[in-house]
Amino acid sequence: MEPAVETESLTRVFNPKKKKEGKSVTALDSVDLRIERGELFGLLGPNGAGKTTLLKILSTLLLPTSGKAYVAGFDVEKDFQEVRKRINMVSGGEISGYGLLTVRENLWMFTQFYGMKSAVAFKQIDTMLELFGMVDKKNEKVRTLSTGMRQKMNVIRGFVTDPDILFLDEPTLGLDVNASRVIRDYIVEWVEKKPDKTVLLTTHYMAEADQLCDRIAIIDDGKILACDAPDTLKRLVKTSTMLKIDVTLLNNKSVLGEIPGVEKFTYTDDPASNLTSLKFVLQDESAVSDIVSEIVHSGAKILALRKTEPTLEDVFIKMVGKGFE
Amino acid sequence: MAVNSELRTFKNAAWLGWQMEANWTDPFLFAIYSVVKPLAGTLILVFMYLVITHGETETMFFSYMYVGNAMYMFVADVLFGVTWVIHDDREHYMTLKQVYIAPIKFETYIFGRAAIKIAITSFGVLLTLLFGVFALGVDIDLAAVNWPLLVVALILGLATLAIMGLALGGVTFLTAKHAMGINEGVAGIFYVLSGVIFPITILPGWAQTISKFLPVTYWMEGVRRGLEPGVITALGPTTGLQGFSDLQLLLTLVLTAFAFLFISLGIFRYADKIARRKGKIDWTSAY
Amino acid sequence: MTETWLLRNMRAVRGRAYPRIIGSTREPSWVFFDVVLPLLTVSAYAYIYKFMKAPEEFVGFVILGGAMTAFWLNILWSMASQLYWEKEIGNLSLYLMAPISRMSILAGMAVGGLFETTLRATSTLVIGILVFGIALSLSSPVMLIVVFVVTMVALYGMGMMFASLYLLFGREAYHMSNLMTEPIYLASGFYFPVKALGFWAAAGSSIIPITLGLDALRQLFYPSSVSEYGFLAIGTETLILAILCIVFIVLSKLSLDYMEKLGKTSGRLTLRWQ
Repeated sequence: MEPAVETESLTRVFNPKKKKEGKSVTALDSVDLRIERGELFGLLGPNGAGKTTLLKILSTLLLPTSGKAYVAGFDVEKDFQEVRKRINMVSGGEISGYGLLTVRENLWMFTQFYGMKSAVAFKQIDTMLELFGMVDKKNEKVRTLSTGMRQKMNVIRGFVTDPDILFLDEPTLGLDVNASRVIRDYIVEWVEKKPDKTVLLTTHYMAEADQLCDRIAIIDDGKILACDAPDTLKRLVKTSTMLKIDVTLLNNKSVLGEIPGVEKFTYTDDPASNLTSLKFVLQDESAVSDIVSEIVHSGAKILALRKTEPTLEDVFIKMVGKGFE
Repeated sequence: MAVNSELRTFKNAAWLGWQMEANWTDPFLFAIYSVVKPLAGTLILVFMYLVITHGETETMFFSYMYVGNAMYMFVADVLFGVTWVIHDDREHYMTLKQVYIAPIKFETYIFGRAAIKIAITSFGVLLTLLFGVFALGVDIDLAAVNWPLLVVALILGLATLAIMGLALGGVTFLTAKHAMGINEGVAGIFYVLSGVIFPITILPGWAQTISKFLPVTYWMEGVRRGLEPGVITALGPTTGLQGFSDLQLLLTLVLTAFAFLFISLGIFRYADKIARRKGKIDWTSAY
Repeated sequence: MTETWLLRNMRAVRGRAYPRIIGSTREPSWVFFDVVLPLLTVSAYAYIYKFMKAPEEFVGFVILGGAMTAFWLNILWSMASQLYWEKEIGNLSLYLMAPISRMSILAGMAVGGLFETTLRATSTLVIGILVFGIALSLSSPVMLIVVFVVTMVALYGMGMMFASLYLLFGREAYHMSNLMTEPIYLASGFYFPVKALGFWAAAGSSIIPITLGLDALRQLFYPSSVSEYGFLAIGTETLILAILCIVFIVLSKLSLDYMEKLGKTSGRLTLRWQ
């Protein structure tokens, strides 16, 4: 069976309308990707990496500049009508729909664009509203919903048409812990119960990708840097030691990156709490003593020191050389 | 300091209004748009007139009608412009709440947006008048223009329009998107009852009574007396305001303007309060 | 085109029409604005004709023209430029991603707005007739229905073509709609017989379906004015309108497809704040 999604040297360049508006931007650069049916696939990358551009191409809203993209075996450029029958998409922070319709009406309206019979649609909607704990909101007007509730409604909209492939573009963006958990749990359950369904999830929440995804592609500046299962990706950095140190606010941090044995170094300053968090990827554990000496010598106080298991963020830092800050 | 702050708000609002009106296309296209739109509106009336008079435009009544219609652009554009600001910012760009909660006077923001509308419309009005004079023989003799009367009437009238726009803006807070008909309706009331394209004497008695309470009625008369005094003299009692001297006309305009200032501010503040109570500052009503 | 395709698109029309219909019941303030207030502009023109002592049928022409503005405004503002706002809200990308014809979305908007539009047109007509004491004599009710239907189909087809501009452009298209409001009133003779523009100008304006539709309606209601104020024979105008129906429906499909492709190529299809 053909894969759910396949791209071949997919490239997308955005040219400004006028010269004074800036230079061309290459949002995607020769992306080769293959997502099998039944996968919960993650696309991880910072803002501006090209995640949304890729999703727009796959959801037939944007044409590539060059290369090919296939969804469910259909060319997104030539066979877009066939693609559309099989997909749906939900974005984070969506404000679609109409404020003066109720939740139930809004959801029903969108099902009509997929040709669902009203009786079937309402049954699905009611089931999903219950699953998402929104039964008491079903007759509330959309404009009265909180952000979390609205996003839950948007997610329901994506699932209710039962697409073969669902694109989720940062679906938990800006949501609280409970709302995010409900959505994540449902995504996992849906894929487990329906092995022929595929989800492509973009996020820059590492933990979310780590928790949910069968495989993850790391993307930055329009290029796929790595693509594998989360555990396999983490093993890429396991030969190196990860060190995290919290210190009082530290000046002249750059010298820490030059200590022999330090492969990669990043930091975050928090002036409000007078703290600096330092992260090191070490080739040689003996560098630890030099790092500690340097910190003490600079006058800062070490508040916490720990060796950590590699996370996806560590993978990313290793590959790209920067965090998501 | 407070004055500086108000001026800054006014200036920034006017700048924003200019961006909204003008930066959607290149200057050449914008210039064409600014020419075609006012002229097309005016030509409807011209052709209506031509059909009846079989091509004759160099009459007193035609000049009366033409000047009134040209000036009416201010009424329509300012009233529409102000209500549209609220509607547009709230429903489309969803920036109303950010402006609303900023430490500025929202009324000043509205006036700033209205001011740029007036400036842009002035170009259209001037163009229309020039076209009328040179292409259609509209009777405007620069040597005969009563400049003090014209300038004072114009300023008072435009200020009154901006003030009335504020009231409508307040009402817009409370109504759904289709109620952009508010501005169409109110502008329509003035179109019918304020002697814009025909003298109020043609209206039934009860309608003429209402006309005499509307500031736009006096504004139209004041502007016409300033710009085309010969036409007003020739038409005599048909205008319906022949009993008012120039000073009385201006005073009446000032009085009605003040009355509307209080009414408009009252309506705006009341509507603002209700909108806040009902959570309508940032609602959307599109369908 | 399978039965499934047809069903899906008909459901899409129903789905998009629904918010419009529900909106009109949940936000009833439109009734006042759309019923009473449009009459004011119409009244102004009626009064000016009275002041100029124009023939009586001219007031009737104005009332009829005023009634038809409801449909023209519905097309410009509630259908074509509505796509601009759908883009800003984020609905447009969801519509475009769905396996339906774009014309179904637009048709849904048109159908949904038809109730408000028809009520506005009818009330303008009825109140105008009562207030100004107009006497209309309908020579052929069947022909009236035929003319009205072909005019509406052609007009809405043209509206769909305009709507396609919004797939590529943003505020430019919006301002074009703004620009077209009054020039069309002029070019189509909403408030005066289009014949007054001269033969060639009127012929050019006839590309806009409402020009010939309105002229034909006026001839039907005022048969005595046909020779002096009618542009073409009713039969000829109806035939041209029928041809325009086909032309605009085909053009709108082509235009929507082309503009969508352009929008997807340039990346502006779902680009907000253009």
